[in-house]
Amino acid sequence: MRTSHTAVVERNSVFTSSFDTEPHECAWASEARWFVRILSIRQGAELRARVQISPDGMFWIDEGTELPVMREEGLYSIKLREFGGWLRLSADLDGSDPEVKVIIYLVLKE
Amino acid sequence: MIDADALRLALLRADPKLSKFNPLPRILCFDDFDNGVNGWCELIGNTDGNLDNMARYVRDFHPAQLSTCTYFDQGTHGPMSGTYALKAATRPVPDHMAVLCKRLTWQDLGPVQMEMYFSYKSEWNFEPVPEGGREWDGNYHPSEAQFGDIMIGNDIQIDDEGRRTHCALRYVNADAQGNLIRRWKYKTSLQVTRRTIRDMFPDDYLEHPLEDFQVQDPADWEDVPDGYQPLCYNEIPSKVNWHYLRWVFDIGRGRNVELQVNDKVMDLRDIPVPVHDSPYWGLARLLNLEINVRTRVPVRNFLYVDSLLISADW
Repeated sequence: MRTSHTAVVERNSVFTSSFDTEPHECAWASEARWFVRILSIRQGAELRARVQISPDGMFWIDEGTELPVMREEGLYSIKLREFGGWLRLSADLDGSDPEVKVIIYLVLKE
Repeated sequence: MIDADALRLALLRADPKLSKFNPLPRILCFDDFDNGVNGWCELIGNTDGNLDNMARYVRDFHPAQLSTCTYFDQGTHGPMSGTYALKAATRPVPDHMAVLCKRLTWQDLGPVQMEMYFSYKSEWNFEPVPEGGREWDGNYHPSEAQFGDIMIGNDIQIDDEGRRTHCALRYVNADAQGNLIRRWKYKTSLQVTRRTIRDMFPDDYLEHPLEDFQVQDPADWEDVPDGYQPLCYNEIPSKVNWHYLRWVFDIGRGRNVELQVNDKVMDLRDIPVPVHDSPYWGLARLLNLEINVRTRVPVRNFLYVDSLLISADW
C-alpha cells in the first residue's frame, strides 16, 4: 500500500499582495502535486506561483516549476519529483488593487 | 497456571517498541509516525460547506507534517526512533496555534490513557534579542523564551444525555513577554465553540480573532498543583530531546485522573472540569484527543511527537 497525504496549507485565505506558503516537510514523499483553487480573484489581478525548495525549511530557492498564470476562478495544478525535504509556493500577486481568495493543497505520495 | 497479567507485562517489556509505554489493558492505537500521521488531522471548524462561514478562529490550525527534525546547522537530527516524527507547526504569528486531533468513540465509561514521547522547539531566529533581553551565553539560548506553550486535551461526551466536556492541560513554557513560566496549567472555562462565539461577538463572530480559543477568557488557566517542571529544551533550536508523557482521564467522571511527565506525577482527580450547559447533537460517545502548540511571538513553534499510544480499561 502506498502512503499519501493531502495538506491544506491555505484555507479560504485572502491575499492582497504577494505571499509565500508555510514551509512543509515532505522528505518522506517522492512525488508531490500542488493544487491551487482560486475561489475568487478581482478583475485584472494575476497570480503567479512558483515552487521553492529548501535544505532546512528556512532558506529557499526556486525549484524551476511554475503554475500556470491564474487570472480567473478555477483549479490549477503542477506535479513534482526530486524536491528534497521541504516545499513551499512563492506567489506573486499583480494588478491594480489586486485580491485573491484561495485554497492551496499539497498532495504528497510515496 | 500462567499469570495472565504477568505474561502480558513480560510481552510488553520484551517488545522494543512497546516497552517504553505503560498501557492500560486494551491498546486502541499505537501511532508510530514512521508509518504516516495515523489519523492526527488538523482540527477545523464547522460550516455549511461554504468556507466563508467557517469562523476565523477555527480556520487555520495547520496540517500535520512528518518531520525528520532537520535544521540548517545540524542537518537531519532524527526522532527518538526511526526516521519521522509527527510535527505540529505554527505560523510565525503571535498566538497562532497549530492543533491536531484524533477522532475516536468510546466503548465504555472508564479510564483512557494517552502516552507520547514528545519534544518542543522554536524555529531558529536570527533577529537580535530585544534590548534588555537575555542574550545567548554559550549555554542559555534566547529561543527557549520564544517557545510559548503546548497542550493536550480531549473532547468527550460523558453520558447518554449528551453532556460534553473538555479536559485540557497546558505546559506554559513562556508567556507573551518571554518570561519563562515552565508550569502545567488546567483550564477553568470551556473552549469557544461555534455556538458560543455567536453570543460573544454577535457583530463579527466569523472574523473575530481569538488569542486563545481553548477558554472563554485567556486568563482562565490555573496552576496544576505541584505543576512547576523545567523540561529539557537543550540550549539551541536544533537539539531535540524526547520527553515521556502519560495522561489519564476518566470518561464517566469527565475528569482528569493524573499526568506524568518523566519523573513527575501530578494527581488531577480533584481538578474541576467545566461541562457544556446543553447537549450537542451528533456526538454520541465522542472521544476526541487533541495536541496543540501555540507561539506567543513572531517565531514558529514546533511540537514533535516520536510515537504515541492510546489505551483504555475496557
